[in-house]
Amino acid sequence: MSYMLNPGAQSEANVEVHKFYGGTVLLSGLFALVLQALLHKYGRWSELVDLPLLVTVYFGVSRRNPVSGLFLGAGIGILQDALSHDYPIGLYGIAKTIVGYLASSIGARIDTEHPVARFGLMFFFFHFHQALLVVTQRVLLNLPAQFFSVRLLLDSVVTAGVGVILFALLDRLRKSH
Amino acid sequence: MIEIYSRHRPLALLAGVVLLQVLLLAFQVKRERGAHEVRLVRYWAVEVTTPAERAGSWMLSKVGGMWHGYVGLRETRAENEKLRSEVEKLQIRNRELESQALEAQRMTRLLDFRDAHKEAPMLPAQVIGASADATSHTLFINRGDRDQVKRDMPVVTPDGVVGKIVEVFPASAQVLLINDKDSGVGALFADTRTHGIVKGTGDPEPHMDYVANDDQVTVGAAIVTSGEDKIFPKDFPIGTVVSADPGNPFQVIRVKSAARLDRLEDVLVLMTKHEVNLNRAEAGAETTASGAGKTAAAQAAAAGVSGSNAPAGRAGNLPKSTPKTNRSDAPAATQARSPEQYLPAQPPRSQPAPAPSEPHR
Repeated sequence: MSYMLNPGAQSEANVEVHKFYGGTVLLSGLFALVLQALLHKYGRWSELVDLPLLVTVYFGVSRRNPVSGLFLGAGIGILQDALSHDYPIGLYGIAKTIVGYLASSIGARIDTEHPVARFGLMFFFFHFHQALLVVTQRVLLNLPAQFFSVRLLLDSVVTAGVGVILFALLDRLRKSH
Repeated sequence: MIEIYSRHRPLALLAGVVLLQVLLLAFQVKRERGAHEVRLVRYWAVEVTTPAERAGSWMLSKVGGMWHGYVGLRETRAENEKLRSEVEKLQIRNRELESQALEAQRMTRLLDFRDAHKEAPMLPAQVIGASADATSHTLFINRGDRDQVKRDMPVVTPDGVVGKIVEVFPASAQVLLINDKDSGVGALFADTRTHGIVKGTGDPEPHMDYVANDDQVTVGAAIVTSGEDKIFPKDFPIGTVVSADPGNPFQVIRVKSAARLDRLEDVLVLMTKHEVNLNRAEAGAETTASGAGKTAAAQAAAAGVSGSNAPAGRAGNLPKSTPKTNRSDAPAATQARSPEQYLPAQPPRSQPAPAPSEPHR
């Protein structure tokens, strides 16, 4: 728990921090948002995958910097809110801010390089993200929302599976030592 | 305080950012149309993402177009092959139908011709083969002894004379064409009634022999049967003059046969050896001309029939047997079916046949 409160202090010493080429994080986040919006045009199957969440989690666990992770999550979430018309701005922003922070914190502690670990991590973060959304909607917006459903389970499995592949691709954008 | 903040800076930042967004949410929720109040944020977001979305959409549409084009091309290729195969089948079917239609037309012509000349019993026949010898102009038809086809029966088409039966088999018969070198047909010019003999030379075009150099022969003049060979009906088209050149002792007249001898498919066998007049309308006119129009060749043909030395006697199409019946005694042509009734008629001869070297004009 103490690490959760000050993870940056230990991450540099214990766990390898991955660096990326300039603009990679911003462009990847933007690309994920654009691609998500574009895929929506081609059918509801695109809703099975949450690409902005994948990018948030990946760069969070890779950079292992809670500050950059929370700001990346906030930026991506707010843009995602801005691009959607149904919800007020801040819904996805809050959820992804917390996910970004938590991903950076967890990435500093556990191995996130193995595909199985990545699958489990994404599965967890999908439902965590969903829980944050539901809480926000219910508490702050007084909107009905489900914590769990078969559809959400399917979404989480698909997202985690895609995450394993996407993470492997994003690994190529890392700076070599 | 500062130390605490620096130690827990990430957590503090998280709390700050989340709090800001909660406030933003609260602000939007309090105002019912809150979404419009934060239009600037949406505007920026859209401005940032729209160009990328436009580019991505363009790229996806291009890729999609290429993919659809590729898939479409593959489908088009398969469809093209299928259609090509179908076209080939239809072309074959079309050729069959065209062939059947042409055959029906030919048969209709033949039947019309037969119906128009009911006085002469005719048997439609199909050409089933030709001679294997290039110099021999013969063909085989699908009618034979079973159909009561006999030797020396004339074979015609509505266009004109084809030849005569030279060999009869049970189910087929051999026809000697008029352009065979052993063939000869008693003939005369339709307009001048000048007689001669159309003989084959082995070439595709037969010649008309025994026409004196003094006789006026024009290119394109129609040549018809004279009926004096006792095989072919009188005044039936043989052909037209292609060229007429002076020769020794007779003109060399090349004849283009009226019947398409090289493209025969259906023919008619005249089932009688009695003289029939297929052109009754012209019979009267011919009668007036025939008295003065007998040529030496025509009489030579008659002489050949009777076994004299006249050149017509060499003509293959001329009957070698002596006529046994007189025309006046012949039964009706339509009834002539029995072998006895196939006997040739004997026309009355008013004058003896002169020598071929002295044609009578």
